[in-house]
Amino acid sequence: MRARRVTLSATLLLLAILGLAPIVVMFARSLSVDGAFSFENYRHLLATGRSWQLLSNSIGLALATTLISTLVGLPLGLLVAKTDLPLRRVFVLLFALPLVIPPYITAVSWVDMLSPHGLASNSFSEATSRKLSGLLFGFPGCVLVLASTFMPAVMLATMTFTRTINPRLEEAARLSARPLRVLRGIVVPLIRPGVLLAATLVFLLSLGEFGVPIFLRYQVFAVESFTQFTVSYNFAAATASAVPLALLTFVVLGVEWFVLHEKIQALQPTGQGGDTYVIPLRSNRVWLFALVSVLCALVVITPLFSLVMQAGSWQTYLRALRVVSDSLMRSVFLAAVGATALTALGFFVGYMIHTRAFSIWRAVDAGTVLLFALPGTVIGMGLIALWNHPETNLIYATPLIILLGYLAQYTALTGRVTVAGLTFIPASMEEAAASAGASWPRRIGAIVLPLVKNALVAGWLIAYIFCLRDTGITMLVYPPGYDTLPVRIFTLMANGAPSLIAAACVLMIAATVLPLIGVALLMRTQRR
Amino acid sequence: MRKLVIAVTAALIAAAALSLPGCFSKGRQSVVVYVSEDQVFSEPILKDFERETGITVKPVFDTEEAKSTGVMNRLLAEKNNPQADVYWANEPIRAEVLKQENVAAPYQSPSAEGILAEFKDPQGFWTGFSARARLLIVNQSVTDKPKSITAYGDPGFNGKTVIANPLFGTTTTEIAALFILWGDEKAKTFLTDMKGNNVKIATSNGESADFVAAGQFAFSLVDSDDAANRIKQGKPVEMIYPDQGDNEVGCFIVPNAVVLIKNGPHPEAAKKLIDYLLSAETERKLALSDAAQIPLHQGVETPAIVRKIETIKTMKTDYAAVARKMREIEPLLKQWVGL
Repeated sequence: MRARRVTLSATLLLLAILGLAPIVVMFARSLSVDGAFSFENYRHLLATGRSWQLLSNSIGLALATTLISTLVGLPLGLLVAKTDLPLRRVFVLLFALPLVIPPYITAVSWVDMLSPHGLASNSFSEATSRKLSGLLFGFPGCVLVLASTFMPAVMLATMTFTRTINPRLEEAARLSARPLRVLRGIVVPLIRPGVLLAATLVFLLSLGEFGVPIFLRYQVFAVESFTQFTVSYNFAAATASAVPLALLTFVVLGVEWFVLHEKIQALQPTGQGGDTYVIPLRSNRVWLFALVSVLCALVVITPLFSLVMQAGSWQTYLRALRVVSDSLMRSVFLAAVGATALTALGFFVGYMIHTRAFSIWRAVDAGTVLLFALPGTVIGMGLIALWNHPETNLIYATPLIILLGYLAQYTALTGRVTVAGLTFIPASMEEAAASAGASWPRRIGAIVLPLVKNALVAGWLIAYIFCLRDTGITMLVYPPGYDTLPVRIFTLMANGAPSLIAAACVLMIAATVLPLIGVALLMRTQRR
Repeated sequence: MRKLVIAVTAALIAAAALSLPGCFSKGRQSVVVYVSEDQVFSEPILKDFERETGITVKPVFDTEEAKSTGVMNRLLAEKNNPQADVYWANEPIRAEVLKQENVAAPYQSPSAEGILAEFKDPQGFWTGFSARARLLIVNQSVTDKPKSITAYGDPGFNGKTVIANPLFGTTTTEIAALFILWGDEKAKTFLTDMKGNNVKIATSNGESADFVAAGQFAFSLVDSDDAANRIKQGKPVEMIYPDQGDNEVGCFIVPNAVVLIKNGPHPEAAKKLIDYLLSAETERKLALSDAAQIPLHQGVETPAIVRKIETIKTMKTDYAAVARKMREIEPLLKQWVGL
């Protein structure tokens, strides 16, 4: 038991140093004006009309994104999971693509398409083209990009949670009800907690999103925090700007915990494998297929096509490779190392939460999720405040600072995936091994790890994607000569050739998607 | 599975070896430079320096989203723990701020000989090179072309002019320079007249230039590289250097500025890089590139679109005073913009 306590205590300590300490340092700075304790930064924040405008913009953007993502993602998820829609597996893969692509790249692609000199400008009159461009740069454009990015999360959640429904229930209902009524009366109510959980995640991700609003010039608190630091060099005001987001996140997570947590726990796979009830679409097949195809063309194919067209010939890709190859390799390396560290840390955090090893397990869970939902720029500023000292240059002046940032922000992802994986392991297995005298490290190595292997691989992939696409933290803290590809794409945007930027974005997408395809192929081979 | 793990690990080690600077270059001299000039223009110069001297350059570039002040603020944050050796600013105000904040160190580069004194800090805390001019980009359809920045208040241009947000970038700098040159009253009147004439506020100089190129507005005050790029793209615009008459104030010049960072880790390599940046050859490259910047050494080769500094009537500017004035007028400008 000693090894277990020491390991999990060390995990707690690491989390406190990595995640909590930067935020505490930032918060302490925001309460200081000219060295004296003061609420001046918060008084100023509350006194200006701009703050309320920013809050309204942030909430409005997050709500609109969540609403559209849910209204589209839920029916789409039901269509591909519960019906005989043609090519539904292909649709799932295609619709999931925007979720793994960094959202600001989707924004770049829409700008390439709809700007006054964009690819589609010849298809519209000049006035229409200007109007479309005007809409893109602002609230509608941000909603379009974020909803197309996060909608797949709701779709995938819907698909996942429909598998938790016992097909016998649906079959019984079908004896006296039409398929649509079964969906409305049985399926949707049963998966509602899962869909609401996905919607909450979309709301929080949209609330903390920084890359898209800053690129499409829409003022929200996440952007304000970044500009307060980078433009005005005001640590305290930057932190104060982040506090409303943190409070809002805290409230949303609190509501999620009290309203959804128990219900989500109750949603477990039926254990009946692929035995799910499928609704035949019959005469509706054609028009529903057409509708889904149009949606897919709009939110997936169009942005990708726009990037590929803007990049043009293969020579552009060669030029882009010459310009960004160092950054690309650094990104892949740092994301891979970050994902590995996150998988390890997430495993112990997840284990701690699942086994309720400490009385503060709820606080640990909420704390990691809160860090995940905070804008990356806030964590970046906290890291600078904490580690920017001559004594800690081993961290501050090396890529370790980026890795610490990843660990601070993304542990919730791997932690939660581990919890999900551990849920499927009966506690009796570990207990039996303990009764037989197996030590804790041996139980972990011989029983737990092999059984959660798939969950850990999934966690690694999710972490890899998030580390690879990170801009908020990396842009603020990357050491000299260590820029990553997302940062380089941002710096190239100042007067860089659009074709070069588009080609760099395509390379970024390839770096994100290729490992996913590789792992998927490997897992398929292993299954055979 | 084991083979895959080995392959992935080998690939990662290879990626680390190729991408992490310093991993396999022990003993090689290096220099750390923070850069506010656009990466597309500055990076080729830094690569040339690496090639010619064998000194590895480790850069940190700014983003447009940070309004090119991100790295300057990073330098301020690192004042007690300097990581950078050199700061390449895209205007002298940021360099002046670093001097005032005691982050800069003095260095009189031999390459700076021949650069006019008005573009250098007298104590050598920063030195200007390769400049942009603040000029008017005018749509060719405009018959009565503006000759002065005061045309912003001309009723004939009511609702037909655009200017980049004066809270950021070179627009702020020029307005602060006008406050010093004209005095507060005249400068405030200029701003009031401009607003009364329904000027449109754009997010950047680039966007202003695009508006004029698209014919949405008659003219805009922008940086010379923004105008030169639109002309190179074949847009129906021309550039006018404002206030060139005998009794007029002249054209505001915004040079790049290079700063030696106090207590930087590689002072000798830093001086070599500064000498290189201030050379006539670097100015020639920046003039011939898409940056279209005006060399401050006389007699440097330039393309037709870039005027030589000796042919421009320049605005007399005390950049140190401008830096101080910018902070003073920030509330006024915020009010003017409507924040």
